[in-house]
Amino acid sequence: MRRLLAAVAVAALTLTATACGGGGGEAAAPTASVTDPAKITGELTWWDTTRPDSEGPTFQALIKEFEAQYPGIKVKYVNVPSDQAQNQFQTAAQAGTGAPDVIRSEVAWTPQFASLGYLQPLDGTRAVDDGSDFLSGPLSSTKYNDKTYAVPQVTDTLALIYNRRLLKEAGHEEPPRTVAELKQAALNVKDKTDADGLALNVDSYFLLPFMYGEGGDLLDVQSKKIVVNSPANVKAIETVADLINSGAAPKPATTDSYANAMTALKEGKAAMIYNGPWALSEIYQGKEFKDRSNLGIAPVPAGSVKAGAPTGGWNLAIYAGSKNIPAAYEFVRFMTTVKAQAKIAKEISLLPTRTSAYADPAVQDNPDVAVFKPIMDTAVPRPWIPEGGQLFQPLLEGYQSLVGGQATPADMLKKVDEQYHGIMKDWS
Amino acid sequence: MTPVTRPRGERGPLASIGLHAGLLIAVAISLFPVVWLVLTSLKPRDSWLSAELQLFNDSSLDNYARVLTSTQFPQWLLNSVLTAGLTMVLGVFLAATTGYAVSRFRFPGHRSVMWLLLITQMFPVAILIVPLYNLMAGLGLLNQIPGLVIAYMTIAVPFCAWMMKSYFDTVPVEIDQAAMVDGLTPFGTFWRVVLPLARPGIAVTAFYCFMTAWGEVGYATVFMSQEDKRTLGVGLQQFVGQHWSDWGLMTASAVLIAIPAGAVFLLVQRHLITGLTAGATKA
Amino acid sequence: MAVSTGQPPAAGESARGRSRRHDSPGRLRRALSSHWYAWAMIAPVAVVMLVLIGWPLARGVYLSLTDATEANMGRTIGVNVIPSTYEFVGLDNYLQILTSGLFWDKVLWTVTWTVACVGLHYGIGLGLAVMLNRELRLRSLYRVLLILPWAVPAFVAAFIWRYLYNSDYGVINGFLKVAGLSGVGWLDDPVTAKIAVIAVNVWIGVPFMMVAMLGGLQSIPAELYEAAEVDGASSWQRFKAITLPGLRQVSTTVVLLGTIWTFNMFPIIFLVTRGGPGSETEILVTYAFREAFTGIRNYSGSAAWGVIILAMLVVLAVGYRRTLRSQGDPW
Repeated sequence: MRRLLAAVAVAALTLTATACGGGGGEAAAPTASVTDPAKITGELTWWDTTRPDSEGPTFQALIKEFEAQYPGIKVKYVNVPSDQAQNQFQTAAQAGTGAPDVIRSEVAWTPQFASLGYLQPLDGTRAVDDGSDFLSGPLSSTKYNDKTYAVPQVTDTLALIYNRRLLKEAGHEEPPRTVAELKQAALNVKDKTDADGLALNVDSYFLLPFMYGEGGDLLDVQSKKIVVNSPANVKAIETVADLINSGAAPKPATTDSYANAMTALKEGKAAMIYNGPWALSEIYQGKEFKDRSNLGIAPVPAGSVKAGAPTGGWNLAIYAGSKNIPAAYEFVRFMTTVKAQAKIAKEISLLPTRTSAYADPAVQDNPDVAVFKPIMDTAVPRPWIPEGGQLFQPLLEGYQSLVGGQATPADMLKKVDEQYHGIMKDWS
Repeated sequence: MTPVTRPRGERGPLASIGLHAGLLIAVAISLFPVVWLVLTSLKPRDSWLSAELQLFNDSSLDNYARVLTSTQFPQWLLNSVLTAGLTMVLGVFLAATTGYAVSRFRFPGHRSVMWLLLITQMFPVAILIVPLYNLMAGLGLLNQIPGLVIAYMTIAVPFCAWMMKSYFDTVPVEIDQAAMVDGLTPFGTFWRVVLPLARPGIAVTAFYCFMTAWGEVGYATVFMSQEDKRTLGVGLQQFVGQHWSDWGLMTASAVLIAIPAGAVFLLVQRHLITGLTAGATKA
Repeated sequence: MAVSTGQPPAAGESARGRSRRHDSPGRLRRALSSHWYAWAMIAPVAVVMLVLIGWPLARGVYLSLTDATEANMGRTIGVNVIPSTYEFVGLDNYLQILTSGLFWDKVLWTVTWTVACVGLHYGIGLGLAVMLNRELRLRSLYRVLLILPWAVPAFVAAFIWRYLYNSDYGVINGFLKVAGLSGVGWLDDPVTAKIAVIAVNVWIGVPFMMVAMLGGLQSIPAELYEAAEVDGASSWQRFKAITLPGLRQVSTTVVLLGTIWTFNMFPIIFLVTRGGPGSETEILVTYAFREAFTGIRNYSGSAAWGVIILAMLVVLAVGYRRTLRSQGDPW
């Protein structure tokens, strides 16, 4: 009992001590440039969110190179599943203990973490090397209140991924360029082959190309307006509903939707799917794509206004409470050099965020990256606001009830609109 | 049921068939998912979601080899065994003492203690995680097995104390009184006389404590962020992500996980059928 | 609790502690010396629970009366200083939850879910326990096989079931198709999804209930049955007159615990359906978690949810206790 009380007292003391340390110690350190980076010492913890088996090894190899170049710095690699990393980082960061020094942060998390004060501002530090070289879409995701809080590591967007053989059998040499063509091609596949046309994945993110295509969006950030319930979006959702009702896309499962759609494509049960570059390594394992040339990648089909897909990707950010900020700067800098990005692109087909990286021969030799580069140019940046991550759940629930037949497109968007107003109370 | 009475242990052939049929159906339902788990673990890594329904295609132990050699499974297993083992021993001990005290001693507050314990279970764990994390951080217990064990105590002990209390309630008080008359201390009575009689209850609570710690992922995920401190539950989640999954590894390790749990059960289940049998109650 | 550190009396004294009457002055002193033993036995549990649950709970009640979120609770992280700007808002959080349309939908489904799950757990668990308590060939084999689901960690079980239910590639639909029927989108329709999650939870929970009941059955003295048989009681009469009363202590406990447990059963719903389709299978806990923990965390809102759930369960437990007492149980 007494010992327990003592333990509590000690703990309380440590708490205050860490709080003070966090407040005073690091504040002085940041921008002072180090004359010789190789002399920096420290131990960094990095939370990586990539797939441990297929993508992890490339990053671990990069860490080895980093440690060779900076003998004073040791990097502890921790792989945290991407669907847990955000939550775990928030819990650890607010407590001030247990958070990593560097985190691989999804583009939508970055403004949220920054707004909560968890990230170290990086303007004018060694973490950012030639900021103007980065693609503007990914770069915009690292800014919050005109300050830079992260460095873009890889980027991605959605594309139309298709089975060339099935489209050819249905009489289409070229992939569809508009949603109307998509429907026709899908119906042809359904008629002329034993496969289905389009496999839909019931997920909010995958609705965005349809909305962007009709000129719609979720929010208008400039005028702080919620625009999800717009005529353009109603038209987009009607298009999706029509794809399902007409049979161009079989009625999708709402649970494990992603896995089912991917399986259908991999097994040749569906000819087309919307997906990003991260899916390629998995698709190539499918029996239809043992011959890689059977896989076609094209920009997402255009709606009545334009063709557009959301910008995704991952940034590297530094925890503001890190004890090794100078070392973290060097690490982030190293991981976002053209050389590192070229290695990542070459080995695991993730798209570089630097313009100059695309000129690198190693990048140009990777056919997947070469195909995705022009698609990337049409990618639409999402609204980078702290609440961005909360926008998907209402839309997902709406999409599920649409597919289940419990809501019409107009009802669905009306409900989503109501929920958005509940999330962002000072928006109109 | 036949109205004819028979000596205990005997029944008509029809009743026997019914009994076995009922149990067989129950066994089939309870085993089917497990069998499917085992079958999946024997399939090549990417055929788990396959359009064809196949029981056996290219069966192999590859997934098991991969789990044991190319993941940190052994480390996770060690962490889990330590955590679950400690939780079991401490949990049973604490639950038994608490349950016994409340069952036997009429001390001020003996009722409210149990109800207070119950109230602690009513506040949703999902919401407790953040304040608990801050507390653990303050006590320096993050990434420490004892810290996790303490957190599991808060889940397991209230339930177990309640169960132990109700099992102790079924042990006649005369037994305690006889033991005390024989000169045993209250603790001695509890430890040497009553506890052995409540063995079925202990078996249940022990297994409950073990399984609580063994399968828990919520606290473990948040409190054990260091890679070498992860438990099985946390480690396993690495195999199934949102946009990809390695069901080969997942199912093979799930099978491997169920084996120690099964072993613990085999150890404790023996006590389920002993306990209060012939004559022991006659004080 | 502080009393637990009191000096232990001599062994001889404590031996008769319960029956002894002290003459020492002061009620506290007397209470101490006659009850220190009991208090010492519960002290460790009480301390751990008070620190780990009591403190966060008390703080939660306080936060639920404010508008605290992750963004306005003051903190300093490195160079970033965030001022503390949250304020006391009284019962606003509670009003907001209680007046939202979805809340009562969720209450209704949560109650349905709890009653269905606990009822099935108890009924099936008791039935199997009674069967296993008979003299029976292969009894221990049956017992081990029936307990197996318990040895599968809940989150693994959730994944297996999700896989069995898969509408395109699941085993259940696979069998239906072999039988010439069309597949069912088990988790895609609100009604089947609800049935599906209840089935998963029943599958996971029955072994525990069965073992608990078996433990209870074992402590019913065999002599009672023998005497009843001598008196010519039928097996149904024996079940009603001996088995059920004999299980009463254990039953009342496991039903109460099971109710609380199921009411707050987070992982099954979260892992099997993620609350979908729409938010149809979301129970109060998963709903509260999602409302409060997606994006910028709403600490005050989550605390208010927690307190509401706590209050509902306290009311339930008090009602349960009353009912039992009125039936003569010494609770």
